Amino acid sequence: MTALPNEDREKRLAEALAQFLDQQAREEAVDVEAFCRQHADLAPELREEIEALLEVDRLTQACPPAAPAAAAEDLPERLSGHKILGEIGSGGMGRVLLAEDERLGRRVAIKTLNRRYRENPRVRERFMQEARAMAKLSHPHIVHIYNLGEPDEPPHFVMEYLEGAPLTEAARALPLRQKVELVQKVVLAVEFLHRHQILHRDLKPGNILVGPDLEPKLLDFGLALQVDDLGSRMTLAGEVLGTPDYFSPEQTRGNASLDARSDIFSLGIILYEVLTGSLPFRGASFAEQLRSIREEDPVVPRRVNPSLPRDLQNICLKALEKNPADRYATAREMAEDLERYLAGEEVLAVPTSYARLIAGKMEQHLRELDGWKQDQIVSDSEYDALRKAYGRLSEPEDAWIMQLRRLSLAQVSLYFGAWVLVVGAALVFLFRFLGLSGALAVLVVAAAAVPTAYFGVRSWKAGSLRFGVAYLLAFCLLLPIALLVAMGEYGIFSGFTRGREDLELFYKFDSFKKTTNAQLWWSLLLSLPAYYWLRRFTKSTVFSLVFAVMAALFSLATLLRLGMLEWLDKDPGKIYFQMIPIALAFFLIAIALERIGRSGDSRYFYPIAIVFTFTALSGVALFHEPYAKWLERVAPWTRGQIEYLFIINAGIYLALQTLSERFHSPQMRMVAKTFRFVIPGHVMTSLLLLGLEASRLWNDSPLKIALRREARTFEIILPVVACLFVFGSIPKQMKNFFATGLLFLAIGVIRLQQDLFKDRAAWPIFLLIAGVLLMAAATKYPAMRLALTRRFRRKT
Amino acid sequence: MSSPTSTFGLLERLRAGDKESFTELFTKYRPRLAVLIHYKLSPETRGRVEVDDILQEVFFAASQDIGNFTYRSPGSFMSWLARIADHVIIDAARSMGRQKRHAAEMLRFRSASNPGGPEPVDSHTPSRIFAEQEGLQRLLDKLDALPPDYRDAILMAKVESLSPAEMAERLGKSREAVAVLLHRAIQRLRQLEDVKEPR
Repeated sequence: MTALPNEDREKRLAEALAQFLDQQAREEAVDVEAFCRQHADLAPELREEIEALLEVDRLTQACPPAAPAAAAEDLPERLSGHKILGEIGSGGMGRVLLAEDERLGRRVAIKTLNRRYRENPRVRERFMQEARAMAKLSHPHIVHIYNLGEPDEPPHFVMEYLEGAPLTEAARALPLRQKVELVQKVVLAVEFLHRHQILHRDLKPGNILVGPDLEPKLLDFGLALQVDDLGSRMTLAGEVLGTPDYFSPEQTRGNASLDARSDIFSLGIILYEVLTGSLPFRGASFAEQLRSIREEDPVVPRRVNPSLPRDLQNICLKALEKNPADRYATAREMAEDLERYLAGEEVLAVPTSYARLIAGKMEQHLRELDGWKQDQIVSDSEYDALRKAYGRLSEPEDAWIMQLRRLSLAQVSLYFGAWVLVVGAALVFLFRFLGLSGALAVLVVAAAAVPTAYFGVRSWKAGSLRFGVAYLLAFCLLLPIALLVAMGEYGIFSGFTRGREDLELFYKFDSFKKTTNAQLWWSLLLSLPAYYWLRRFTKSTVFSLVFAVMAALFSLATLLRLGMLEWLDKDPGKIYFQMIPIALAFFLIAIALERIGRSGDSRYFYPIAIVFTFTALSGVALFHEPYAKWLERVAPWTRGQIEYLFIINAGIYLALQTLSERFHSPQMRMVAKTFRFVIPGHVMTSLLLLGLEASRLWNDSPLKIALRREARTFEIILPVVACLFVFGSIPKQMKNFFATGLLFLAIGVIRLQQDLFKDRAAWPIFLLIAGVLLMAAATKYPAMRLALTRRFRRKT
Repeated sequence: MSSPTSTFGLLERLRAGDKESFTELFTKYRPRLAVLIHYKLSPETRGRVEVDDILQEVFFAASQDIGNFTYRSPGSFMSWLARIADHVIIDAARSMGRQKRHAAEMLRFRSASNPGGPEPVDSHTPSRIFAEQEGLQRLLDKLDALPPDYRDAILMAKVESLSPAEMAERLGKSREAVAVLLHRAIQRLRQLEDVKEPR
C-alpha cells in the first residue's frame, strides 16, 4: 500500500463501491470479475468489499435469481429403487413423480422436495415428518404411504399411485345423493385425521382424487401439521400464501392457532362447490379473495341452485360460519348431519348467517312494528305474536336443544336411564332395606349422584351439551334424594314438627322409611343453591325450571313444617289460605326476574305462581270457613253459599287481570290472559248452580214468595249474563267469553222453558224470529247505526 | 427486458392475476424485511413482539393493498414495504402499550426521527426466522457490533436497497461522503468477520 495517495485511494475505492451499489440498486446483473478488472488498481480491497456485500446479499435474499431454474430440475433415474417414469405434477414445495416398482410390477407416486428447500434441514425434517405422520395412518380414503426415502437420497417418499379426477370434476355429473355421499366420505376421512391430531390445512378438490369406483382419496398434506407440535411450526412464504380459494378466515389472517374447525371451513367450501358448481368466495385479486373469505357472507346455495334441499344448504352454511365457534365443532358432527340428510332425517345445522341475512331487514320491521302498535294498527296480541315469530327467526334454537326434543333411540334411552336411576335412588330413601342401611345406603346413593354430576359437568364442558344436560338433570333429582338418605341414616334433623309425630308426613304410612318433615325441608333448601349454580354454569334455562319446581316443593315442605297435616284433618281451608303468600312470592320473583331482563328464567315462575293462586283461591272458597262466614255476615241473603265465593274469586281474577295488563311485558300479558280465561267459567257455573239450588229450595217450600222470586231471578240472570258475555267479548276478542256465553245461553233458555215458559209456543217462535232478525241485522249494522243517530239528533 | 423474477416482473405477473407471484415476492423480500423490522423495533418492543408476527402482518397488509402500489424504481417496492412495516409496528406498540408509551419511541433505526436511539440489546430469544437461517443471525450479530452510523449505512444500502444517491438524499450528505461512509462500514464489517472467522 503506497503511503501518499492513501486518501485519494480511499475516495476512489468508495466511488467504485458506490458504482457497484448503483448497478445493484437498479437490479442489473453485475459481472463481478469484469467489474474488478475495470478497477484493477484497487485490486485486493475492492474485491474483498464486493464479496462482503455479496455475502450480505446472499444472506438476505433467500430466493436468489437462480432459483427458478430449480423448476427445471432434471428427473432422477431412480428413487428408493423405483424407476422414475415422469412427472405427474409440481407444487410449491416439490414435485410428484410417477415411478414403477419393478419387483412388484406396480406403479407408484413419489413425492420429492424442491432443491431450494432441501438445503434447509428444518424443512427437510418437516417434509419427512409429514410422510411419517401419513405413513402411520391407514384409512380407505387416505392415500397410502409405502416407504420413506433413505437419508442418503434426496428427500422423498413413495405412495400409492392413484388414477382419478379431482373431487369437483368427478362430482359434476353425479346425482345429488352421490355427491353428498362423496363429500361425506371426505369429511369422515378428515375426521380420521383430526382424531390422529393432524390438521390437513390444505383441503381442496385438487387434493382429493376420486377413482373410477367413486371412492375419494385424500392426498398431499403439504400444510399438514401435528396439532400437538406447534413449536416446530414452519411458516414459509409458499405455505402461507398457497391457493387461498379454500382458506378459512383464520388462515387468511395468518393465524398461528388453527384448529380442526379451520379444516371444517375448507370442507364447507368444497361442499358448496360440489353442490352449486361455483365457489362461495371469489375475488378479482389475491387480496380481494382473502377479504371476501373474511368478510362476505356466501351467496345462499339455493339461490345458485334452487333445486338444492334446504337441509344441505344448512349444513353447508353451518360449515362456512366465519366464527369457528359457530361452525361444527368436529368433522364428526358434520358427517353426522350429512348422514342425517342421507337417511331422510332432519339435520341439526342452523346457520347463523340466516339470522344475519334476516337481521338487517328485521330491525326495520321491528321498528315499524313498534310504530304500528303505537298507532294501534296491530293489537297487543298480534304485536306479541309477531315479535315472538321474529325472535324465533333471529335467535334459532341451539342444535342440542332441537336434538333434545327429538325422540331418537339414544335420546329415549338416555332419559329412560336417568329416570330409572332416580327411581332407584328414590327407593333407597323411601323404604328400608335389610342389606342396605347406614353408611352403605349413603354410599350407594352418593355413588349414583357424584358421577352423574361429574360426567354432566365434564360432557357439558367438552361440548356434548345434550348428554351433559341429561346427566345434570338426573343429578338435580338425585341431589335432594342423596341428602335425604344421608340425613335419614345419620339421624340429622330428626326432630318432629312441633314435637308431634302425627304431623310427620312419612309417619302416616307404615311401610315408608321414617323421614321427617325437617329433613325434607332441609334437603330441598340445600339443593336450591346447586340448581342456581347449574343455571349459571350452563346458562341453560332448563335449570331455572328445576329451580322453580323445587322451590314450589320447598314451599309445600314449609307448609308441612307449619303443621299442614293437622289442618288437613281439622281445617283444610287453612292450607289453601297459607298458599296465598306463596303465590305472591312466586309472582314477585317472576316480576323481578323479568324486570332485570332474565325473561328466560321468569317464564317458569309465572305458571307456578298462577297454579298456586288458582289452587289457593279455589281451596279457600271451598273449605275456608271464615271466608264463608264473612260473606254471610256482610250479605245475609247469600246464606254464605260457596258459589257466591267463586263469583267473588272471579272478581279477584278480574282485578288481577287488569293489574297484570298494566305491566308492559309479554309474559305478564300471558298471565292476564290466563286469569281472564277462567272468569266466564267461574261466573256462569256459579250462577247455574245458584239457580238450581234456589229452584230446589223453592220446590221444597213452594209457598214462600221470597224463594220463588230468588229462583226466578236466577233463571233470568243466567241468559242475560250469558248475552252480556257474548257481546262483551268483542272489545278484547275474548273468545272464551263468547263460547261460554253461547253455551250457558242455551242452558238458560232450557231453564226458562222448564219453568217460566212452560208449554208456551210463543217462546220458541220468539227465539226463531229473534235469531233471524239478528242475523239479518248483522249485515245492516252501519246503516242502522246511521239511522239511529239521525233520529236521535232530530229529537234533540 | 425485465426478467420474470425481478421485482418489476413479479409485480407485473401479480397484476396479471398470477397469485403465485406474490409468494415469490414474499420469499424474495422476507429476510431483508425481517432484518429491517428487527432494527425498527425498539428494545422494549422487541422483547414482546415477534419479528415473525410483524412480518406476517406486513405481508398481509401488503397483499391487501398491493393494488395501490405503483412501481417507480427498483427500490420503491422495498421502501413501500418499509412504510407498511412502520404502521404495523406502531399498531403493535399501541395495542400492547398499556404503559401508554409514545408509539414513536418504539421506533428505532430511522435516524432522522430518532437520532439518539438506544443501542440494541442482545436478543436472547431470537425470532424464528433468524433461528431458521443461521446466516441471518450471524449477520445480525455482526451488525450489532458495528457503530450505529455504519450499521445504518449498510442497512440502507443492502436491506432497504437504496442507491447511494438516495442515501445521500436521506442523510443530507453528498454522494461522495455516503460512498466513503459505506466503504468504511464495509471494511469494518469485513474486519469483524476476520476476527470471528478463526474461532
